[in-house]
Amino acid sequence: MSTLLKLDHVETFIGQYHILQGVTFEVPKGEVTVLLGRNGAGKTTTLRTIMGLNHASKGSVSFKGEEIKDLPTYTIANKGIGYVPEDQGIFAGLTVEENIKVAIKKENEETHERLDWILNLFPDLKKFWKKPGGLLSGGQKQMLSIARAYVNENELLLIDEPSKGLAPIIVEKVMESIQQMKDKTTIILVEQNFMMASTIGDSFYIIDDGRTVSNGSMNVLREDEEMRRKYLGIA
Amino acid sequence: MTRILSNRMNILYLMIAAFLAVLPFVYDSRSLLILLSQVFIFAVLAMSYDILLGYTGIVSFGHAMFFGIGAYTVGVFMKRFEPETSYFLLAVVVTIVLTAVVSYIVGLLTLRLKSHFYAMLTLAFAGLFLVLAEKWRTVTYGNDGFTFRVPEFLRDRTDFYLICLASMVVVFILLKRFTNSPLGKVLQAIRENEQRTESLGYSVLQYKIIASVVSGVLAGIAGILYAVSLRFVNTSVFTMDITLDALLMTIIGGVGTLVGAIIGAGIIEFSHHWLTELAKVHWIFERWIIFFGIIYILVVMFFPMGIVGSLKKLKFSRKKKDSVPVKSETVSQGD
Amino acid sequence: MDVLINLSLNGLATGMLIFLLAAGLTLIFGLMDVLNFAHGGLFAWGAYSGIWIYTATGSFLVGIIGAILTGMLLGILTERWIIKPVYGNHVQQILITLGLMLVLSEMLKVVWGPNQISASTPSYLSGSWEVGGVIIIKYRVFIIAVGLAVFLAVQYVLKKTKIGLVVRAGVMNKEMVQSLGINIQKVFMLVFMIGAGMAALGGMLLGPYSGVIHADMGMEFAILAFIVVVIGGMGSFSGSVMAAILVGLSGSFMAYYVPDLALAANMLLMAVVLIFRPQGLFGAKG
Repeated sequence: MSTLLKLDHVETFIGQYHILQGVTFEVPKGEVTVLLGRNGAGKTTTLRTIMGLNHASKGSVSFKGEEIKDLPTYTIANKGIGYVPEDQGIFAGLTVEENIKVAIKKENEETHERLDWILNLFPDLKKFWKKPGGLLSGGQKQMLSIARAYVNENELLLIDEPSKGLAPIIVEKVMESIQQMKDKTTIILVEQNFMMASTIGDSFYIIDDGRTVSNGSMNVLREDEEMRRKYLGIA
Repeated sequence: MTRILSNRMNILYLMIAAFLAVLPFVYDSRSLLILLSQVFIFAVLAMSYDILLGYTGIVSFGHAMFFGIGAYTVGVFMKRFEPETSYFLLAVVVTIVLTAVVSYIVGLLTLRLKSHFYAMLTLAFAGLFLVLAEKWRTVTYGNDGFTFRVPEFLRDRTDFYLICLASMVVVFILLKRFTNSPLGKVLQAIRENEQRTESLGYSVLQYKIIASVVSGVLAGIAGILYAVSLRFVNTSVFTMDITLDALLMTIIGGVGTLVGAIIGAGIIEFSHHWLTELAKVHWIFERWIIFFGIIYILVVMFFPMGIVGSLKKLKFSRKKKDSVPVKSETVSQGD
Repeated sequence: MDVLINLSLNGLATGMLIFLLAAGLTLIFGLMDVLNFAHGGLFAWGAYSGIWIYTATGSFLVGIIGAILTGMLLGILTERWIIKPVYGNHVQQILITLGLMLVLSEMLKVVWGPNQISASTPSYLSGSWEVGGVIIIKYRVFIIAVGLAVFLAVQYVLKKTKIGLVVRAGVMNKEMVQSLGINIQKVFMLVFMIGAGMAALGGMLLGPYSGVIHADMGMEFAILAFIVVVIGGMGSFSGSVMAAILVGLSGSFMAYYVPDLALAANMLLMAVVLIFRPQGLFGAKG
């Protein structure tokens, strides 16, 4: 299986704070790779660094074999990476329709098909099609953000803590949708909810204090209580 | 190490001050004395501005209002009452009280706002004072302004020169101590990172108000000296031009250094003088401000530390050649 | 009655001129977080270059087009050379745009001399109509019409086109717009250019309205525009038109009934709004 994205000893500063101190991982095409770790370990910064929203001062980020570390965010996005940020990044004053429209690069058959597919997955969005994004519930915002990232033919989706702050029943819904997208695209998922991570994920990396400290197949982590306790604080 | 260095600098400052103090007795040039007096007066204004811009990181476009309050207070007192020392001192006290009260109120109302808003609001407040000075004709005589006589001890040009020099030196020393005090350090922390200072438990607003009051009062003092030097006051003391002068001097000299403000005042006042002379040769020199506008823009863009700051940095980097330069990166995060 | 109608028309016309200046300011602020203190300079440059071209060619329309083009060109240069290098640093931005204001005003005096220049109204726009005993000056109506047309055109672009959608999204969340593959720098430049063009148009239209133009008119109108931007809500385009009309009308009526307080009243209004309702009277964005 080929590698879609590869981070090699990436270091990122935010202001004077050394947030990422050596993040290394590979994302195989067609899989769901889960980034785990405590709060403040550097998971979100890792995603932001891939998107170019924070600049990596050292190391390399390569997408389909091409170095993208020093490219501007919009170029990185146009290479086929969709981003669902932690705060969902919904344009509150724009309607659901406009939120999606602003994301669509070229309107064609393909995008219409993708849009129809994702709207069937999230019928709520269709219901509130003309409502401002700011009026949606937390779960609906999450769905809109995922839909927006999916609607273009992106090869890789970065999804940052989709379960955060959502009711369990909504979490299940979101989880289901990500599982369905699995067949169509590659995903990096940052997740604190271990149940969700272990259900969807194929492989995992643990980030601790800005470094990737451990990795393996998700099955391994499911068995390894010791490691879970050490890095994730859960048993 | 820094102690020895600063001692050496102090000796240099002392020598320059002594030189300036004996100058009128060895070199008798009326026009030079007048020019240097202007430099000292504007140095006080620029230093007061530096407390805001350089030490606290606040951009005010309304500094002229304090300058104007000082100028009008002394003018009105000298005109309405007798040009005597007692009334002059009373005018000084009234100026201090007025500028302190105004800067406190303006600060309280505006310093909570973000930088753009603050700049605009101070612009508006200064505009209000300008309108007030234009319309309150019974006191201010409107646009035309009025002349007034000054007390005995201010009449001699040499004496006045020495008073201006002394004022500048005293303000410099006071502000040096102020900025080196724990309070001054908090102000600089605010400049560097407002949120962090707030989260460390300092009430940023209160400290900013203190800076604004100190700065306002000193600008008022500069206004008094300015009006006395001309023995005349009109609405020009409230105009944007005064604020712009303070800005140009502080920026070109170097923000956050105090000495930079003095040097900036010297550069601007002397160039103004010479370039105005040159206007007889070619009209373009009448537009001398354009040169400074361009220099100012270049300084803001490429040498945000100004002359003094850049020299200091040069010295610093020469000494620590092999140390790793710290690159400060601006983090832009949506608020 | 006669007086009321004329004061209203006068206020509306002034309001539209302020709107042309304030609209660009508020859009640039909303999108780029830059408060352009040099915007009044672009306004004055529009007036000088436009009137100059108008006098040289004899065509008012060519003058207007020339003014807009001059404004746009200066806008591009300003964005590239002045704003971009200090992007993200508020203090530097404020300082540098103020410096540019100074340079732009002085440059006007270098190019066209320090004295004010007279500007005439083209024959087809001068004179007045008499409607039911009320005398209505044609040029004022013309300014109001142009202002409304610009407002509607920009409103259409913002609401109905993709680029307008991107601008509105950018005002709300710049990072996300970039994460969706849009080059926000290009959008910045476009908005800056259009804002500068509108300001220059406003300056040009002011010429025949007030009869003379002078280098300091930029700052005078910029202060009014700042007031409008604050009252309308920073970044709110539709707020800016309402606030501009409000400020224009209040200025016109105050100048007639209590002339001493006209400018002071507007400044006080801005101060009160900033202190108690910093998001503006019409703005939704905080």
